Amino acid sequence: MLAKDQADKPLDPDWAWSPYRPDAQRPWNLPRAGHLYRRAAFGADWSQLQQAVVDGPQRTVERLLTPEGDVDAFNGKFDRYAAASAGSESADGLRPWWLMRMMQSPHPLLEKMTFFWHNHFALSGAKVKNGEMMLGYVQQLRSEALGRFDTMLAGLSHDPAMLLARDAAANRKALPCEHVPREFMVRTCLGTGQFSESDVREAARAFTGWFVLKGQVRFIPREHDPGVKRILGQEGNFDDLDVVRLLLEQPATPRLLVRKLYGLLISETDQPSDALVEPLAQSFATDYDIAALVGRMLRSNLFFSPAAYRRRIKSPLEFALGIVKGFEATVSASQLGLDLAGLGQNLYEPPTDDGWPGGRQWINPATSLGRTNLAFSMLNTEKPYEGKIDPMAIVEKHGRQAGQFLVDLFLQGDLDDAVKQSVLKQASGEETAGGDSSQAARRLAHLVVTLPEFQLA
Amino acid sequence: MSPTRRDFLKASLGTAAVASLGSGLSVCAQAADRHRDTDDTVLVILELAGGNDGLNCIVPYENHIYARSRPTLRLTGDQVLKINDQLGFHPQLEEFRRLYDEGHLSIVQGVGYPNPDGGHDEAMLDWQSAQPHQTNRQTGWVGRAIDAREQADVPAVLFGQVNRPFCLQSQRTIVPSIGSLQECTLRPAGDDAGRSNHRDHLVEAAELPRAESDNPLLDVVQQGDRAAYATGRKVEEVIRDASASAGSYPQFPLAENLRIITQLIRAETGIRIFYTGFGSANIGGFDNHASQRDNHAALLRHMSQSVAAFIDDLKQQGLLDRVVLMTFSEFGRTVQENGRKGTGHGSAAPMFLAGGKVRGGLVGEHPSLTELENGGPKHHTDFRRVYATMLESWLGFDSQAALGGRFEPMDVFQA
Repeated sequence: MLAKDQADKPLDPDWAWSPYRPDAQRPWNLPRAGHLYRRAAFGADWSQLQQAVVDGPQRTVERLLTPEGDVDAFNGKFDRYAAASAGSESADGLRPWWLMRMMQSPHPLLEKMTFFWHNHFALSGAKVKNGEMMLGYVQQLRSEALGRFDTMLAGLSHDPAMLLARDAAANRKALPCEHVPREFMVRTCLGTGQFSESDVREAARAFTGWFVLKGQVRFIPREHDPGVKRILGQEGNFDDLDVVRLLLEQPATPRLLVRKLYGLLISETDQPSDALVEPLAQSFATDYDIAALVGRMLRSNLFFSPAAYRRRIKSPLEFALGIVKGFEATVSASQLGLDLAGLGQNLYEPPTDDGWPGGRQWINPATSLGRTNLAFSMLNTEKPYEGKIDPMAIVEKHGRQAGQFLVDLFLQGDLDDAVKQSVLKQASGEETAGGDSSQAARRLAHLVVTLPEFQLA
Repeated sequence: MSPTRRDFLKASLGTAAVASLGSGLSVCAQAADRHRDTDDTVLVILELAGGNDGLNCIVPYENHIYARSRPTLRLTGDQVLKINDQLGFHPQLEEFRRLYDEGHLSIVQGVGYPNPDGGHDEAMLDWQSAQPHQTNRQTGWVGRAIDAREQADVPAVLFGQVNRPFCLQSQRTIVPSIGSLQECTLRPAGDDAGRSNHRDHLVEAAELPRAESDNPLLDVVQQGDRAAYATGRKVEEVIRDASASAGSYPQFPLAENLRIITQLIRAETGIRIFYTGFGSANIGGFDNHASQRDNHAALLRHMSQSVAAFIDDLKQQGLLDRVVLMTFSEFGRTVQENGRKGTGHGSAAPMFLAGGKVRGGLVGEHPSLTELENGGPKHHTDFRRVYATMLESWLGFDSQAALGGRFEPMDVFQA
């Protein structure tokens, strides 16, 4: 549908990043609204989609960036819940609270971005072995997830979870830990080829003096190396915040972040050209305002073009929450946490410092089967999800014919004709058979959310 | 031709190159044929957690140092199941002895690594990562081996109720944990008559060609679904086919895990590496600091009877030539008993290899009891050589990518 309504345009950066204005060739419609909610939230229910179609793209983007509800009160409440579950050597108690927050938050984009940064600064609770520190780390991410990247980076440079995760709990003058500055250079800011080994060694000297003692971060001045360091072409008696500043001054940093966000918000099938990255990187470098960058991407012509549409494979999290959101439900978050781990996405425990590989790596025969069976389990009346999702109730609430409605709700009607006919055939077959209509609706819902198209974001 | 030579040719020429050289080069043609052999071989890794006492498995019953060092644990020539005039199996390894006699068991002796760590967690991480003593280890040896393959299949799984081992940590590939056969099948939705139709619809929806799409990601997902449903069907057939589980297994948890692994192999799921284990560093595991005699004997019985039932079942189903089971433990134990009728954390120990294609017999010398390390026998064979043997000679995987260097495979397989 979307793929056909616009001829391929060369990706002129001016056009690409200008705000999308609907016209006859590129109308604002249900598929585009669904696309926006998949990328800037965890999917949408029927009312949200209808509202978006009425409001138009710009207003809907505004609402996703800055929702009307009391987000602070909601997050304050969940911070307290999570804090009460944090007192252990693992992050296991935190996982359900974060999933619950994702399911219920009035600001899903904030959670999505928090998770994006969790993947970017990929610390693992398996290494940190301290629930409170993992909670503190994710709270830092959340507080700047749509705020300022420079503030986030400065805070994380001596975050206790960060120091423990990178074997840097004792940054002695005589034995500087290189791992934190190396990670900042290679993965978080600059990228390979943008720095030298000597930059890492010198930056490690600047990080000396920071310790994690009895669970608290402390700066011990006599363990800090006050000497002159030469880092990324500059000289001075730098400390860790100077290193952060130097990293943020490198043009490679905004470029790397724009490219990474491009993978989240635009497309993971092709790498953006330098010309496409440059205008966003330049304006991001002026203030490191994440919401401004995210907003510009979400409002853009490129975002609403075929080059972005369904050009991402949903993570297990996005897949499962898309079902929950569409059916206006809340399911057992502790069970969901286990099931997502089984599909390769254990929250708070990325597999390596690189974070989750994502993209095509999500899919193999075992995970494909796992997704189909997870959807079955979520839609089934039995344990462990116990039928918290009720497809029949949602179909009746919106007063529509079940097969067509579910295709509209989850795929915005955008499905190959033959496939749609196959879905409708099952729907009418169930009607003719005249069995338990609630069970029939569960089966139909299962068929729709296991369609390959629903695996794409 | 030895597996080493075969793999050398494969590695240096590549399959395509081998094929294009034509049939005039018979050695190469043979190598190409052999290559196909390694496409469906299976490795089962069996973790013995806690530190298995090698000297109480393969007993140097005639050795005076052994006799003197083990006042309560010592086994005499009358008690062991003799291998030769120096060594014998622990009496509870009777079934291993039978496998040995049938040529299905190889014992790689004196396996360890330089400067072995004496702590359970550290030593286990050294074995699992195959990067001893390195800081900031991210991935395990199996994880790196399968990452290097760059194929969207499921080369490895964790099977059974075991904690997820570090060796399966990978950067790119998702390695599933499986607890039952049912998890490998497509679950039917609903609980009434509409089920079977529903399943047909699921399969049809995954298989229907998408005429209007030029989206490469849709192809990826469709292929994943098709492969998943096809595998699920095969596993169901195996579940339905009662004869597939006709093997006679003892009532041990390990035996049950191995029984199901046999069924998954039979279902042609494409899984090349299974990981399972038993024991622990707690009470009841291999970490016998006190009262070792009966506890260790029970574990050896558990292990040997389970593994033997597995090997017999595979043999009966004609699968044995495709499978090798390899045991490992984080360390062996001290030669000297500790005064509490137990032993401390040692170093080198034997690894057992069971399967249809192993040469059988002892591999390497029994380690010296005078040259010790951490109070246990010192290794003469690096465990990474055994890993390299499994990866390269048996599975046809790239061992250097997994092990971060060249480790010479050993000559343990039949030509």
